Amino acid sequence: MTQRISPTAAFGAALTVFFSLSCSLQVAAADFSRDIQPLLAKRCFACHGPDTQEAGLRFDTAASATAELDSGYQAIVPGDVDSSTILSRVTSSDPDLQMPPEGARLTAEEVSALRSWIDEGAQWKEHWAFRSLVRPDVPEPSVGSSAIEINPIDVFIQAGLAERSLPVPPKADRRTLLRRATYNVTGLPPSEQDVQDFVADTSPHAWERVVDRLLASPHYGEQWARHWLDLVRYADTNSYERDGNKPHSWRYRDYVIRSFNDDKPFDDFVIEQLAGDEIPEPTAESLIATGYYRLGIWDDEPADKLQHRYDQLDDVVATTAKTFLAMTVDCARCHDHKIDPILQKDYYSLLAFFQNITPMGDRQMNPDFIEQPLPKGEMTPAEAKDIAVDRNRRLQEARGEVRAIQRRIKEFGEQARDELTKKDLKAWHEKIRQLEQEKAELAKMPAALVVTEYGNKSPDTFVLYRGNPHAETSPDVLVEPAFPSVLKAAAPTIEPPENGRSTGRRLALAKWIVSAENPLTARVLANRIWQYHFGRGIVRSPSNFGFAGDPPTHPQLLDWMATELLRQDWQLKSLQKTILMSAAYQAASTPNEEAYAQDSRNESFWRFDMRRLSAEEIRDTVHVVSGAFNPKMFGPGIYPVIPKEVLATQSKPGKGWGNSSPEEQARRSVYVHVKRSLITPILADFDLADTDTTCPVRFVTTQPTQALGMMNSEFMQHQSKVFAERIAAEAGGPDMADTKSCVRRAIEVALVREPTDDEVQHGLALINELETTEGISPGRSLELYCLFLLNLNEFAYLD
Amino acid sequence: MNTSDPKPRGSFCGNTRREFFWEAGGSFTGLALSGLLDGNFFANQTHAADGVTGYQNPLAAKLPMFAPKAKSVIFLFMYGGPSHVDTFDYKPALYPLDGKIIKVKTKGRGGERSESRAVGPKWKFKQYGECGKWVSDLFPHIGQHVDDIAFIHSMTADSPIHGSAMLQMNSGKIQSGAPCLGSWVNYGLGSVNENLPGFVVMLDKKGGPISGAKNWASGYMPATYQATLLRSQGDPILNLAPPDDMPLAAQRALLNSLQQSNSEHFLSRGDNSELAARIASYELAWRMQEHAPEAVDLSQETVETKKLYGLDQDRTSHFGRQCLLARRMVERGVRFVQVYSGGAHNDDNWDAHGDLEKNHAFHAGNTDRPIAGLLADLKRSGLLDETLVIWGGEFGRQPTAEYAKGTGRDHNSFGFTMWMAGGGVKGGISVGETDELGAAAIAPGPGHGNGEKAGYHVKSLHATVLHLLGLDPNRLSYFFGGLDQKLVGVEHVQPIKELLG
Repeated sequence: MTQRISPTAAFGAALTVFFSLSCSLQVAAADFSRDIQPLLAKRCFACHGPDTQEAGLRFDTAASATAELDSGYQAIVPGDVDSSTILSRVTSSDPDLQMPPEGARLTAEEVSALRSWIDEGAQWKEHWAFRSLVRPDVPEPSVGSSAIEINPIDVFIQAGLAERSLPVPPKADRRTLLRRATYNVTGLPPSEQDVQDFVADTSPHAWERVVDRLLASPHYGEQWARHWLDLVRYADTNSYERDGNKPHSWRYRDYVIRSFNDDKPFDDFVIEQLAGDEIPEPTAESLIATGYYRLGIWDDEPADKLQHRYDQLDDVVATTAKTFLAMTVDCARCHDHKIDPILQKDYYSLLAFFQNITPMGDRQMNPDFIEQPLPKGEMTPAEAKDIAVDRNRRLQEARGEVRAIQRRIKEFGEQARDELTKKDLKAWHEKIRQLEQEKAELAKMPAALVVTEYGNKSPDTFVLYRGNPHAETSPDVLVEPAFPSVLKAAAPTIEPPENGRSTGRRLALAKWIVSAENPLTARVLANRIWQYHFGRGIVRSPSNFGFAGDPPTHPQLLDWMATELLRQDWQLKSLQKTILMSAAYQAASTPNEEAYAQDSRNESFWRFDMRRLSAEEIRDTVHVVSGAFNPKMFGPGIYPVIPKEVLATQSKPGKGWGNSSPEEQARRSVYVHVKRSLITPILADFDLADTDTTCPVRFVTTQPTQALGMMNSEFMQHQSKVFAERIAAEAGGPDMADTKSCVRRAIEVALVREPTDDEVQHGLALINELETTEGISPGRSLELYCLFLLNLNEFAYLD
Repeated sequence: MNTSDPKPRGSFCGNTRREFFWEAGGSFTGLALSGLLDGNFFANQTHAADGVTGYQNPLAAKLPMFAPKAKSVIFLFMYGGPSHVDTFDYKPALYPLDGKIIKVKTKGRGGERSESRAVGPKWKFKQYGECGKWVSDLFPHIGQHVDDIAFIHSMTADSPIHGSAMLQMNSGKIQSGAPCLGSWVNYGLGSVNENLPGFVVMLDKKGGPISGAKNWASGYMPATYQATLLRSQGDPILNLAPPDDMPLAAQRALLNSLQQSNSEHFLSRGDNSELAARIASYELAWRMQEHAPEAVDLSQETVETKKLYGLDQDRTSHFGRQCLLARRMVERGVRFVQVYSGGAHNDDNWDAHGDLEKNHAFHAGNTDRPIAGLLADLKRSGLLDETLVIWGGEFGRQPTAEYAKGTGRDHNSFGFTMWMAGGGVKGGISVGETDELGAAAIAPGPGHGNGEKAGYHVKSLHATVLHLLGLDPNRLSYFFGGLDQKLVGVEHVQPIKELLG
């Protein structure tokens, strides 16, 4: 069948293919990547893997796993089940022989998979994630089926469904779909008008129009930036005793929002964050992006400075490797990785790219290290930086002089206070005053939180014995910057920038991360995009593509999307449009007993999974529904009111928490100041990402404290009052003459749909009960009814 | 979950589907359904969000790995770092050195030093109990209970700085982001009372400790395992009480409506256990509203009991009330209770840099009777057998002065004292020791759970606590970031064997 790629198609890569449900694909007996490698990695590698080889046996390569051992046995004999001792050992009932020696036995399915794989020749395959990226053919549908125009994504998904003989799910109804997509793309509910328009739009392009509108919304950037902020452990403070503010960190957050809204190519996005100061012509934006390095926790008073230095570097290595490469390189800090082919040497070779980075400071944050003035007009950022550094230097010198004079006075007593010294002291104090004034002027300039290096020459990096920074080092453990060896990349080409301020190492790393020779980045990104649309990745462990990570449920689809990103020059929105246009995305979430029985994890996407709103979505929606919502974008963080009981948990209650006006507080949650030791309660209740490490997937917990907060908290009580006022004004008027229209209106606003007669009756019954049985005033009863609506499962969950 | 599914020795990254699922985007439902649907519902109908594992309430009581000695823990946290040489670590040789410059290695807030002015212990010591334990005059009431107490005199920690040392005592790590001891206990054992939180923290009236909530956070674990703040006066739990203009009966009417609407919504989505769990969570919240105030209602206690805890005196009434609440909590099945003595900064806690005599007399005077009362009360009710009481701070203090004048001591993480009572520890014993000045741990020597160094590291203390609760500290793990994380870290750590009864 022909597959025409239509380069001019609105969403990039619409294919027209013919597809049949009567595909006769066979279910593979045992798939190495899916069934065997994860099994060996999880259950055998700890003792027979890359780091440890008990009995001389290791299962991470074909040669070593099939070699004859000193004992004369052979663990795996391809094609010969009976001679493969691995099978007798995993099935043995003798405690001295059975493997694994501890823990659960292998299941019957696992043993059977192992058996058929050996029987079929025990073929090893290169790990799926490390294979080079090749655009897969879209599966060829069989001849003679009914022709439907189909999105390539659906070809992959429906082939998978056919393999399991599962039906293609029905489409979700329009309101459900619009609510799903509006939250998914913008983090906010659709407006009533949006729903009406879409339901009434009979054009075949109705859905496409919605998708285009949503992707163009400025709220798109706010929603998708939040995912990225989770990954880069974004916070506005340092944690630890003082949990002090990181200066200008919010500009990084705004940079991320703008980048998503502008559909900035992801390769530029990576390069700016990792090396925005090392590119040929740094811009204010690219410098702000390097705040990436400064977002982690920082102890201004470490017990062991060298240890802390390496902990800081570890934070950057771990975050970078997991976020961009989905590799748990940090597991190889103290020894070779136990599971994945990542050597301890790889860890330090990666760390070497960052070795020359300055720390946040020493006891106090050092503005020369982390701050960059952002000039307007003629001055370049570099010139502004020079002026700032110079002023800081002169200020420090002046302060040093004063301290020296004071020491002299202390040492020699008052008699040393001769005229000269007095005059000196006075002059220096005057100097300091002047410099501080100049500095204050400088402080008025906008500035960014940035990374800097010590200069163009990096200190050496050594492999540290057992990860101990105090370990002795010698030239034979010296390493140079290098990419993880398993990816077989050429040595980096490092060119120090002409300005002499840095080594150029980070730019070399950034360029390789987004280079065509690295197969991981595009896969990792494609998987994350899918994850944030569907609630789970094609690879369910989105920051671990290693042997112990989950294998992709649709490897071909993943690779297709990854190559699609490259074809779109790393722009996201085009692929996102393709995803949103797919039938898989538009599928209903309704149960299907048969499909559930066969595939309860929904590996095959036999439906769209329901999800709970995120912490931010809940808080923002409450504001939208009450009418208080303030769509103002960007700028320094806002401070929602935090109950005094919560402030009392601080050693200095209220310290580091500001006051924002009610209007400011009603802005989107992405603008809430993130203080690591004081998280806004409603956000903490609903599983905000932990701020201290990169967070690829948020938890969704269900706890009674959430219910308490949703019913009793000052925030919810207040917002339900504001909501009721809005309803009274829009429907009932202040006299509450028409309770019924209030109830109707409240349902329309809260759930963005037409109320049913039953639920209106139900609402009236509740209000009536509150008024007559409990003696609650009509006004208050409506408020409580509004509170009731905000607590519904339908409010908190998306179909 | 690893608690019931031990991993092969040395397995770092082996993990169950379930753990993976958490990391990999799975939902995590927090509660058993009750009320609306019958208890068999989950067993028959649903699976955990991974679709494979049968539904399991993460806070449902779980069997320990082996027979436990203790069922719950009360950790009396002396924030700021009490001086061991002035409390329980008797150093007769230090008295005569008072005011003299001595050569001794120290490391604290003021940096590293090799000689300083000695400060003799500021209180006399007396022997107590059948074991003849020396205790300073700061703790005459606790002294009465030494036959039930096991002292660890050779504690060590990695940091002599409050921020990181607090994190380590609470979570094992000097960096923030790891789950706390109480989180691990709830992860491993669950809670036997779903009407109350499984892990509660009570703060000093002066305020929270530095780093606030980081000290009771669940870090990379779900929020299910973090502590709930319990206040001894006013509303005991945040948002527990509905506001005055939402009387309970009105709230109940609202909840009834909510259950009705939610169950209608659920009808066509019956395979989604999260929805069912959320329905149940509102009933649990309702029950918590009812039970938590009862749990903190001290009017049920006799005058004699209140007096035992020092509620009859101003200076001891706050901490006494908290100790009494701690007993009421463990009685009701709460697994882990932490009570802070000391809050905020400087002399509002045990951080005696300036005037040691004034500082320690103040804090000890506020806590001595309440703690003794707690031990006495637990003992007479038999609860002490299954309740582990822990006393100590994030580190101790140096034998020398920090400043040119005054009695203040700087921080000391090279050697300090903590004690435990009940919950299966031997009473009337002391293990480990510091040198004759109390500057650093000298015993036990290498190989006692602290690598090459002398003393018992915080990890040994944590290992002991988990062990007493029936959890193997080297097997209780949680998969995160590509690694089976453990409270005690990667290297195996043994419990302090001498303490185990």
